[in-house]
Amino acid sequence: MCADRTFDVVIVGSGIAGALIAKKLGLAGRKVLILEAGAKMPPDINGYMQRFYSSNAKVPESPYTPELFTEGKLTNPGTVNAGRPTVLTLKPHDENKFQFGDWKDPNQAYLIQKDSTLPFASTYERINGGTVRHGLGTSLRFVPKDFEMQTRYGRFVDWPLRYDTGPADTRLRGWYEEAEKEIGVSADVKDQEYLGITFDHPYPMPAIPLSLVDTTIAAGISGMKRDDAELKVRSTPAGRNSQPYQDRRVCAGNTNCIPICPIQAKYDPSVTLAAALRTGNVEIWYRTVACDVVVGENNRVSEIKYLQYDDDTGPRTNAGSVSAKVYVVAAHAIETPRLLLMSMDRKGVANSTGLVGKNLMDHPLYLAWALMPEGKPIFPYRGPLSTAGIEDLRDGAFRRERAAFRIEIGNEGWNFPIGDPYTTTLDFINGLNRSRLNDGPKPQALFGADLAKKLNGVLTRQFRLGFLVEQSPEESNRVTLSAEFTDRLGLARPKIAYNLSEYTKKGMAEAKAVASAIFERLGATEFTKEKKDDPTQFEWPTGSGQLIKYYGSGHIVGTYRMGTDKSNSVVNADQRSWDHDNLYLVGSGTFPTVATANPTLTLAALTLRTAEKIEKALN
Amino acid sequence: MTVITRRTVLAGAAATAVGAANVPAPARADDQADMDAFLDISFALTGIAKDKLAPFLDPVDIRQVYFDQARHNPKFNDLLKIWRGPPQATNASVFFDQPDAEIRYLARNIIIAWYLGAWCDPADLAANPPPDPLPYTILSPAAYTQGWAWRVAQAHPMGYSELRFGYWSNQPFALSLLIGGV
Repeated sequence: MCADRTFDVVIVGSGIAGALIAKKLGLAGRKVLILEAGAKMPPDINGYMQRFYSSNAKVPESPYTPELFTEGKLTNPGTVNAGRPTVLTLKPHDENKFQFGDWKDPNQAYLIQKDSTLPFASTYERINGGTVRHGLGTSLRFVPKDFEMQTRYGRFVDWPLRYDTGPADTRLRGWYEEAEKEIGVSADVKDQEYLGITFDHPYPMPAIPLSLVDTTIAAGISGMKRDDAELKVRSTPAGRNSQPYQDRRVCAGNTNCIPICPIQAKYDPSVTLAAALRTGNVEIWYRTVACDVVVGENNRVSEIKYLQYDDDTGPRTNAGSVSAKVYVVAAHAIETPRLLLMSMDRKGVANSTGLVGKNLMDHPLYLAWALMPEGKPIFPYRGPLSTAGIEDLRDGAFRRERAAFRIEIGNEGWNFPIGDPYTTTLDFINGLNRSRLNDGPKPQALFGADLAKKLNGVLTRQFRLGFLVEQSPEESNRVTLSAEFTDRLGLARPKIAYNLSEYTKKGMAEAKAVASAIFERLGATEFTKEKKDDPTQFEWPTGSGQLIKYYGSGHIVGTYRMGTDKSNSVVNADQRSWDHDNLYLVGSGTFPTVATANPTLTLAALTLRTAEKIEKALN
Repeated sequence: MTVITRRTVLAGAAATAVGAANVPAPARADDQADMDAFLDISFALTGIAKDKLAPFLDPVDIRQVYFDQARHNPKFNDLLKIWRGPPQATNASVFFDQPDAEIRYLARNIIIAWYLGAWCDPADLAANPPPDPLPYTILSPAAYTQGWAWRVAQAHPMGYSELRFGYWSNQPFALSLLIGGV
């Protein structure tokens, strides 16, 4: 590597946003360098699969590096060069003793949350291909009113872009189509025309078929209404192949989209990254951690400094800097503000408004699970993790008062809520009742045909619903730099302050009510239950003693928002920094509001639009 | 043929990745009788037909992983003796009637291995109450892919489907077809 080489564009991060820009500019003949903090892209995914298969805890991070465990304990993030959070560190905190996974323990948890009110529960990857590697593949468009929360509902802010109104340059509908082609989305237009979403063209592939879980729920809730909306089960647009596409296979229903599709029928950004590298104009440096965005003359970025290492927990092996005409930071919504804030001796870059790191959002997920009546199997653990959802409550007048949500129907039984089939199987073998399915006077310990029949009887009736709740943007929910804790390279780790607003909590409470209503309609027995010492929950209504648990959705959003002018945002509609005109900040960190759709498709659409803007700027 | 190829690849990969499990040397030919008894015991414990647990054409050969794991336990020979009798046992209840708790835990671990590709520390099973959640160790990548808990659910291990596009829209194969007559 040569530190004094110059490029047209330097991109920090090889996730979906970085890979899309690299591919587009590489095809246009631009010389592009990507700095990727994590490990190299392997020739195939077998290594990831073996790590996943052998993991005792098959969490979203389990197939990837750096290793989650060292000698049986969670790896101390202070010893890792490019650390990352894991859902294993969302366990209760105890001030006085060691607890596995303690969310406030900086020796276990990468994110410093010691002073946070509630845990930020989502995680991300720092590896070739980025976080979408462990994503579900859901590729929903926003509904048009999602871009106009202030205008329509007097809440939050409007986006500087619209779905299909206003000046042509600010309409996203065409960019959604481009993103759907890049990712390879399977869906039927007819099923997706709701709440004002319109289409010019069909999707690249037909929809993924519904599962038996989906069709059972669809039949069961037929005619059901909530907030004047009729609830309908719709197939979910998915970045999974329903036909051969991009030289990749058709989905075989491995029920493993999160954390990894074993046949890569699900899109992951290594597809785009490989295409970028094949242009011959894109170079990538792995295990290269950007640590300083340097601003030079005319307030333009002049170089990016980096540190390099060979082993995930080994010493630093090199340091240098690279220069380019244009700089793109595509390091996701926590590492991007971290880099900006640590730059220029912590004076910060692109932060004249002071908004960098603020308005951290997620989709707090309400999870509810139930058992169909005896003799009415629903046959989960089959097909992609989710093939359908209920989208009718993503928008409505209620958004003036409380958060909206979409409902994701899971095909993986009670794997998400209680880790099944492990928990229930271990219950019936050992005479335990952690699943609450072995609830006779004395829990049964079964073997032989009795065990097989019992497990068949209960596992085939399990299902769950996930409610992705729109979180309000709050400046107090923010990413800053830890003054105390660093990674192995000596760089300050991200410090998080996080809470849920009344608006968001009201949405969670409504989600809980809708879940129970759906279960009742289906004649199913609800098993949703909170644990008293779980830190990821809140009391609602206040003073009631009743708890609502939330999960992270992995949808990290909002920390360098886009806006209409320099006073209210970090970047403009093109995702260009207001402060530095050769600096672009891409990814879901630019979303002013999180809405209810999984963010990948929208961030891909925004990124493709930005790639075109960068190409024009280079000309 | 596709299935066999895929399974073979996974089994080969597992052989190099099995470091986490405590696996002694491969079985000798004179262990065959013990293996046969182990499979009879496994059927009695799991309720899954012997020719499903260990098919004649079996490129994965997961039985060997579980057999090796079980015989490493100091109570394994006692387990075989109890099964062989006299009288020859026919029902796995014979293990759970034993006063020696270690034999009961070994029997349970054999079920856990076949159903989940995993193994529990007997000390955890002996604890009153056992830890919550109950810890286990996945014996190998291949063991995970061969777990019967999913097949008993008329499904497949998550991340290891042998089925084709769209199967999830249709009724699954009958349970008896998957695990033998129950």
